[in-house]
Amino acid sequence: MECPFWKFLTLSWKKKEGSGKKDMLRTLFAFAFFFVSFSHAFSFPSKAQDDSGRSLEILQAPGRIISLIPAATEQLYLLDAGDRIVGVTIYCQRPSQAQTKEKVGTVIDVNIEKIIELRPDLIIASPLTDHKQIRKLRGLGLRVETFDAPKDFHGLCESFLTLSRIIGKKRKAEEVLERTKRKLEAVREGIEGDAKARVFVQIGANPLFTADEGSFINDLIEYAGGINIAGDVNTGIFSREEVIKRNPDIILIVTMGIIGEREKETWFRYKTISAVKNRRIFTVDSYRVCSPTPVSFVETAKEMARMFHAKQ
Amino acid sequence: MQSSRISTWTGWTFSLIVILLGVVVFSLAVGAVDLPLRKAFFLLTKGQGTPEYTILFEVRLPRILLGFAVGGGLAISGVILQGMFRNPLVEPYTLGISGGAALGVCMNMVAGGSRILGPLATPISGFLGAVGVVFFVYVIGARGGGIRLSRLLLIGVMVSFMASSLIMLVMAVTKTEDLHGIIFWIMGSLEEPNSFLTRAVTFISLGGMVLSFLFAVDLNALSLGEEDAFHLGVEVERTKKFLFLIASILTGCCVAVTGIIGFVGLVVPHVMRLLVGGDHRILLVASYIAGAAFLILCDTLARVVIAPMELPVGVITGLVGGGVFVYALSRKGYSF
Repeated sequence: MECPFWKFLTLSWKKKEGSGKKDMLRTLFAFAFFFVSFSHAFSFPSKAQDDSGRSLEILQAPGRIISLIPAATEQLYLLDAGDRIVGVTIYCQRPSQAQTKEKVGTVIDVNIEKIIELRPDLIIASPLTDHKQIRKLRGLGLRVETFDAPKDFHGLCESFLTLSRIIGKKRKAEEVLERTKRKLEAVREGIEGDAKARVFVQIGANPLFTADEGSFINDLIEYAGGINIAGDVNTGIFSREEVIKRNPDIILIVTMGIIGEREKETWFRYKTISAVKNRRIFTVDSYRVCSPTPVSFVETAKEMARMFHAKQ
Repeated sequence: MQSSRISTWTGWTFSLIVILLGVVVFSLAVGAVDLPLRKAFFLLTKGQGTPEYTILFEVRLPRILLGFAVGGGLAISGVILQGMFRNPLVEPYTLGISGGAALGVCMNMVAGGSRILGPLATPISGFLGAVGVVFFVYVIGARGGGIRLSRLLLIGVMVSFMASSLIMLVMAVTKTEDLHGIIFWIMGSLEEPNSFLTRAVTFISLGGMVLSFLFAVDLNALSLGEEDAFHLGVEVERTKKFLFLIASILTGCCVAVTGIIGFVGLVVPHVMRLLVGGDHRILLVASYIAGAAFLILCDTLARVVIAPMELPVGVITGLVGGGVFVYALSRKGYSF
């Protein structure tokens, strides 16, 4: 991944031969820069190595941040770093202050010119961001950190901590996490001893799409005292027949605007499903499930626990 | 007669080059960020390291260069194939080249080839897919001695369909994270961070132009029909093979880097044939320049229409190209 970047550097420095001392300084700077970004390339994607965190803290805290992940935007506000954000995506709607920030594109497609104009010190990208664009930005000497979508609550907390270290707000993050974990514990205690509800989560219609074992929602359901009936499949496409056969107690539809209500109607045609019989089909806001922060995770888990264990 | 024709051709070439230069300047001048162009000269001398300099010369200029190479390359591939097959519906993608490239890229993404080859994995797999499919089509089409063009065409179309079915299969079983990479690639984009690839495609595209120009007279004869071409002294089989090879490699390289950008190879040759006539000596040159200008213009529009977001360039090439083409056809009596 660093290869074209290296080529870019060597090429652009070869071009400017001439005044010796200045050049040497530049070269040195280039090497230093290269070295730093190289070490990052290795320490970032895998979470196990993030734990040391030392190489991150040496760097000065970035003052101009562009966030290309709605969840990261929200997390930056949780870390009291909202005023450092200079650019967001059009999907960064929460908290409401984020809506006033400059828009640089969508989660998957960004405007490189806009980003350069904003002179960011740090760009937070997701693996969904167009890889070519990420490479281009790195090639232009900008610092881009990609955060994988967390697979579970633990991963969510880890990436929250990593983010806080990069922007120099580790203490604040630990505070937030402490509070969050206490609340989550309270949720767990509240449902202790209750029977587990068997849940089917619908994320998409046509084809019917569900949350598989590696997904975040799977974890959310478990914390809320449920069992994901699709927890054993490894791709999200799921047949309606299989749902009928596995007979969930609860159907959870992650809303995609108006479609949520229509899908609810569709399910009512299948009278044999226990969730249909007991009219336990719920809709959840996709924002809360698909773009989580540790805080919103706990809130959603609490809400779900209430759905799953309501006395009938 | 002879000299008047040459002066007409020179006139066309000259005016197309002027249009191309105009489009390049326009493309440099507009974008999501406002940059007055008169500042460009100032930036060129003193502005290094400023955001404006980077936007102008490291974001916009490479895209223009790639648009030039790919637009020109696809357009002359279209000219070559339409002339050779004597079929107005043929375009560079008809023979399964795009389908093969897309399949190659899909396979690569699913198999995780980029972990080994890095950012070059996508163009390499795209090119291999394209070449693989073309080779397959060619071998079957050329069975029993001699390339039978109608059969080649049919096999190409069928292979395209098969490739797109396989792509759907791959997409159905892919993880969401890989999926969007495939879709991005299929939509096509002139954004290419690797300057080596941009330069390589430019070189290949210009080389293809020169090579195909050497065959311009043969193409004129071939577009009369194979038999007539044979009687005019053209080595039909060898020429067909060469032309097929040139068009395939040109298209394969373009597609491998930018993804599938449709309509350039279909519309530009037709419009140019309307304007400059069917003589391949001028048609090839005119199509190359016009294709380059057309793609750069479309890409510029794609960048600015809904800024800061960007449209896939194929949306614009399809709408603008198709619109202009239908208009041109309705205006003048045009026969292929």
